[in-house]
Amino acid sequence: MFKLNLKIAWRNLWKNKGYTLINILGLSIGMASCILIFIFIRFQLSFDESYKNADRIYRVVTDWKYNAFDDFSAGVPIPFTAAARNEIAGIEKIGAIAKIDDIVHVKDDSGKEILKSNENMYFAEPEFFDVLHINWKYGKPAEALKAPNSVTLSEAMAIKYFGSINNAIGKSITLGTKTQLRVTGVFEDMPQNSSFPLKIVIAYQNLYDYYGNKDCWDCINSSLSSYVLLNEGLSKSDLDGAMAKFNKKYYADRKIEGNQVNRLQALKEIHFDERYDNFANATIARSQIYGLAVIGLFLIFTACINFINLNTAQAVNRSKEVGVRKVMGGKRKQLIIQFLTETVVLVLIALLVACIISELAIPSMQNLFKNQVTFSLFGHPVIFVFMILLVAFVGFLAGFYPAMIISGFNPALAIKNKVTLNNNGLSLRKILVVVQFAITVILIIGTIVIVNQMDYLQQKPLGFNSAAVVMVRMPGDNISRNKRDNFKERVLKIPGVQLLSYCQAPPLSQDVNSTNFTFNGAMNKDFEVRTCKADEDYFKLFDLKIIAGKIFMKSDTANGYVVNETFLKKVGINKPENALGKTINTNGINIPIVGVVKDYNDKSLKESISGLAISSDKNQYWQAAIKLEGNHLLSTTKQIEALWTNTFPNSIYNANFVDERIKNYYESERVMGILFKVFASVIIFISFIGLFGLISFVAMQRTKEVAIRKVLGASTLQLVKMLNGSFLLMVFIANMVAWPMAYLFVSRWLSGFAYRIDLSVWPFVMAMVISMLITLITVSFRSYKAANANTIDALKYE
Amino acid sequence: MIQLTNIEKYYANKGVKNYVLRLVTTTIKQGEFVSIMGPSGAGKSTLLNIIGMLEEPTYGTYEFLGENVTSLNERKRIELYRNHIGFVFQAYHLIDEMTVYENIEAPLLYKKIGSSERASRIADLLDRFNIVAKKDLFPNQLSGGQQQLVGIARALAAQPSIILADEPTGNLQSAQAEEIMELFKKLNQEDGITIIQVTHSEKNAQYGNRILHIADGVVKEDVTVA
Repeated sequence: MFKLNLKIAWRNLWKNKGYTLINILGLSIGMASCILIFIFIRFQLSFDESYKNADRIYRVVTDWKYNAFDDFSAGVPIPFTAAARNEIAGIEKIGAIAKIDDIVHVKDDSGKEILKSNENMYFAEPEFFDVLHINWKYGKPAEALKAPNSVTLSEAMAIKYFGSINNAIGKSITLGTKTQLRVTGVFEDMPQNSSFPLKIVIAYQNLYDYYGNKDCWDCINSSLSSYVLLNEGLSKSDLDGAMAKFNKKYYADRKIEGNQVNRLQALKEIHFDERYDNFANATIARSQIYGLAVIGLFLIFTACINFINLNTAQAVNRSKEVGVRKVMGGKRKQLIIQFLTETVVLVLIALLVACIISELAIPSMQNLFKNQVTFSLFGHPVIFVFMILLVAFVGFLAGFYPAMIISGFNPALAIKNKVTLNNNGLSLRKILVVVQFAITVILIIGTIVIVNQMDYLQQKPLGFNSAAVVMVRMPGDNISRNKRDNFKERVLKIPGVQLLSYCQAPPLSQDVNSTNFTFNGAMNKDFEVRTCKADEDYFKLFDLKIIAGKIFMKSDTANGYVVNETFLKKVGINKPENALGKTINTNGINIPIVGVVKDYNDKSLKESISGLAISSDKNQYWQAAIKLEGNHLLSTTKQIEALWTNTFPNSIYNANFVDERIKNYYESERVMGILFKVFASVIIFISFIGLFGLISFVAMQRTKEVAIRKVLGASTLQLVKMLNGSFLLMVFIANMVAWPMAYLFVSRWLSGFAYRIDLSVWPFVMAMVISMLITLITVSFRSYKAANANTIDALKYE
Repeated sequence: MIQLTNIEKYYANKGVKNYVLRLVTTTIKQGEFVSIMGPSGAGKSTLLNIIGMLEEPTYGTYEFLGENVTSLNERKRIELYRNHIGFVFQAYHLIDEMTVYENIEAPLLYKKIGSSERASRIADLLDRFNIVAKKDLFPNQLSGGQQQLVGIARALAAQPSIILADEPTGNLQSAQAEEIMELFKKLNQEDGITIIQVTHSEKNAQYGNRILHIADGVVKEDVTVA
C-alpha cells in the first residue's frame, strides 16, 4: 500500500509538472533559508555550553549606578580575586584572567629571530583552569602556570612557532621587548564557539609588568576579569548575601563613587549580554537570535501557504479519484495518508534541493561574518534532526489542510465532478494570501528603513573631518617613546603628509576612558566625564572648532582642558565663555578649562555625545594620527610604514584609516541590512511564484466563464481587469494589515539609535507600490493569456 | 437482500419541496438482475445512489442483508463497500494515474488481501476479461469498451455479492455495449451475483430478469422478464 502510494504520488507530481515545480522551488528556497538560519542560531546558542560544570561557572562583573546613567564592565579590580577567595563563602574555586595584546618574538636555536607577531595574550592564575576545564596536551595548569615567566600555548600556536608540540616544550619566546617566557604546557585549541579564544596563556605574575595598580579598588579595566566556580548545589542567589557584604566592605564603606558593585554573571550569559565585553569580542543579543528565528518561521510559513493554496485550488481535479476510492472501500484516513505521502515526497525533494542551495550559500554566509566562523551542513548531528523535523513540520503544515479538504468530498458528488470548493475554502485561501503578503510587505518596509538609516549614518556630518587620516599604533615602552619627536619630524618630511598628532584615539571611538570628577569644587554625581588625551595638533588635524578660549599649550603633561558643549550643558553652564578658568579635578589633580570645542560625535551614532574633556598627556598617547593629502595615498602610506618599521624595529606596524574604523562600528547593522535584503527578496520571490501559480489556476478554472463573457462581447482589457481585481484587492488589504506591525518593528529598531532618520510615510507607500506593481505584472501576465485564449477551445467540450 | 420501504427523497428549495422519489417500496432478492428504467429526471440515479448508500433518503427505511442501513456511519458503510458492493460507472471512473493492473488491485489493497492472493485474483480477472496484454497500460490508452471492462473487473475484484451499475453502456458503441451486457448476464447466471443497473435502453433491460419503470419519482411498473 505504502509503495503504491509513493508510486501514485510520483505520477501525480509528474503529471502536474508546472505546479510541482512552483511548489518545490518555493519550498526549497524557504527550507534552505531555514536551514542556514538554524545552523547560525545553533552555532550562537552553543557558545560556552560544553565546559564541565558550565552551570556552576560565573564571571564577576562590575556595575555602576550614577544619577543619570548606568555603566557596566566585564572587569574587576585587580585585588578582587585574592580578597574574594578568602572572604566569599560558597565559592569552590576562583581564578583571575586578563587580556592584553603585545608582540611576541620567536627565535630559532641559533638565536636568530624567525617570527614576530602581534597577538592577544592572557595572564591566568592556575586556579582559572580549575574553574574552566580545558584539555591539556602537555603539562598541567597547576604547575605550568605557577612560576613567573612561564607560558602555555595552544596546539596551533605551538605548531606555528616551533613546528610541533614536543619541540615547543622548554623553548622560549620573548614578550614585548625583553621578557623571556619558557613554554611549560600545551593545551588543545579552543573551539570556535567559545568566549575564550585562548592561544597564549602566561603566568599571572607577569601581568604586573603591564598593570601597576595592584591595590586599587577603584581602577577597573574590562580586560581584567575573574571567574568563579560555585560549590556544588549552590546557585547564584545563594551568594547574594555574601556578595552584598563584600560590596559594602570594599566599595560602599570606602566611599567609592558611582555605587560600584560586583555581581555574578552566568557563563552562558557571556555571549548574549551586550552590555559587557568578552575576550572573543563576540556578543549577540538574544533578541537578534529570536528575530532571525521569526524570519525563518515567516519564510517557511510563506512557502507552506503557497503549497496549501495551490493544492486546495487543485483539489477539484482530484475529486473523481477521491469518489472512486471511497466507493471501493477507501477510508478517509487512508486517503489522508495517501495525500500526506504525496506532500512528504514533495517536501523530501524540496529538502534535497534545499541542501544543495544551502551548501552553495554557505561560503557567502561565512563571508558575511568575515570568515571568522566555519559553518557546515554536516557540522553537527542536530542539523540532521532539524532537517527531519523540518520535513515533518512542513509536510504536516502544508499537507494536512489540503488532505482534509480533498478527502472530505462527498463521493456521490465527487464522482460526477460536481464538487465545488465551498466559500469557506476560498476565503481561507484569501486569508492565507493576505497573511503571506502582509509578511512580504513588512519585510519590504523593514529593508527600506534599514537601508535608509544606514545611508543616513554614513552621510551624517560628525562634526570633524576624518578624510585621509590614518591612525598608526605607537609602541608604549620608554625607549620608543623617546623616539617620537624624531619620528614626527621625519614623517612630516614625507611628501603627501600634512600633519601628525599623537593621541589616544580618533575623535569618534568606542575605546572610552571615563572618570568621576569634581567641577569647580563640587563633587559631580550625575555622570562621568570622558577624557581624551591628545597633543595640540589634534584640533587642527581633525578640524575641530574652538568656540571659546583656546587650545592648551604644548606640554608633556596636562596643563589645561578643552571641554565640549555637552559637558557644559551637563554641568549647567550656558555661555561657553563662563566656563573658562573653572577647574576640573580628577584623581586629585586640579586643572583649569582653557577652551571649549564645538560638539562632535565621539561615539557611534547609536549613542549621544558624551561630556568630554581633552588634555595632553604624553604617557597616554597610543596612536599617531597622520593626515595625508594628494592622490598618492598608497605610496605615502608605504613610506610611512617603512620609516616606522625602521624607527621601531621591535614592534609591528599597524595602521588603518579612521573612516574604515568608523564603518566597523556599524558592522552588526551592516550584516542585518544584508540579511534583510536577502530574506526580503527570498520572501518576495516565494510569494510571487505562489501568486503566479494561483492566478494560473484561477484562469484555468474560469476559462469557460471567460469564453462565455467573450462571446457576449467583453474586451480583453475588461477580462484582465476582472481576473486581476481580487488579487490586487488582497494585496492592498495585506498592505493595510502590514503597516501597523511594520511601524512597531521599525520604530523599535530605530529607537536603538541616538541619531536616526525621521520615520516618514514613504517607506510604507513604497512597499505598497512595489507589492502592487509586482502583483499587477505577475497576474496580468497570466490573465492576459487566459483572456486571449481561443474561445472555441474552451466551449467545445460542453 | 434489499428491502426498501416508503423511500422518499426531496430537495427543499425556498420552502418548496421538489420530490425526486415518492414512496418507493420494493424488495430485491439475492441473484436478481434488475434494470431501473425511466425518462431523464425520473429519479433512477437517485434510487441507485440510495441503494449504493451514496445518498441518504429523506424518509423511509432501507434494509440491506436484513440490517437497517438507512443512515449508517462511515466505518460501517465502508465495510459494506469492501465486502458486498461493487460499483460500475457510465464514465468508467478509472484512476488515471494508475495502470490497469493497479486499478484492479486498489480495492483489494483496501480490503487488506495478502499479496499472493491479490496477484492470483487479478491474474484470474485479467484472464477472464481478455485484458492480460493491457495490464500495464494507463486508462487513457484504452478504448471506452476496454475501460469499462477494467471498471467491471475492478468492481468484481473484491468478490461483491451485488453490482450497482449506473448506465454502464451509456458511453459505448452498440457492439461494445452488447459485450458488456452479455458479461453482466453471465456474471448473474453463472456466479449468482445480484446486479442492479440503471439504463435507458429497452434492449439492455431485456438482459435482466426484472424491470422497474420509474416516472416522476414513483414506481409505475414492476415487470418480470420472461
